[in-house]
Amino acid sequence: MAKPVVRRPKKKANPLKSAKIENIDYKDAALLRKFISDRGKIRARRVTGVSVQEQRLIAQAVKNAREMALLPYSSSSR
Amino acid sequence: MRPYELMVIFDPELDDRQVGPTMEKFLGVVKTDGGSVDNIDVWGRRRLAYPIKKKDEGSYVVTNFTALPATAKELDRQLGLSELVMRTKLLRADA
Repeated sequence: MAKPVVRRPKKKANPLKSAKIENIDYKDAALLRKFISDRGKIRARRVTGVSVQEQRLIAQAVKNAREMALLPYSSSSR
Repeated sequence: MRPYELMVIFDPELDDRQVGPTMEKFLGVVKTDGGSVDNIDVWGRRRLAYPIKKKDEGSYVVTNFTALPATAKELDRQLGLSELVMRTKLLRADA
């Protein structure tokens, strides 16, 4: 029987730590733009490489920023 | 008493010089109820990420103040009633 292939994806560097950002603020649209796709969707944690707790804060901040029209709900509609 | 952060988007038809004084007028209720206004930051005109009330621009103001929860709620209600205010966001600054 063939051994199942064990995948070990390379761990990404935490982008918040490298940028020295301590609290995530919904007013900082430039920072949050790094965590949304060009269509305006929130990027998954496996793409961004942040911790669970940070991802939750980012998601909440993006939603607050959307309400205040700092970030789009969706862009480049097809 | 609790610290709050409030962001308001004013209608772009409101004159730029009037934005600060208008915000102060709304914040009067905080002072009369024994709270304090710590900071008013007028961002000025900004393009909106999507149109609100058919408008592509808005005047942003961010303020920090300390007040009782009931006062903060009342301030948010009064802002909502004004025709000049397009959006508000009231958050606890310590949470």
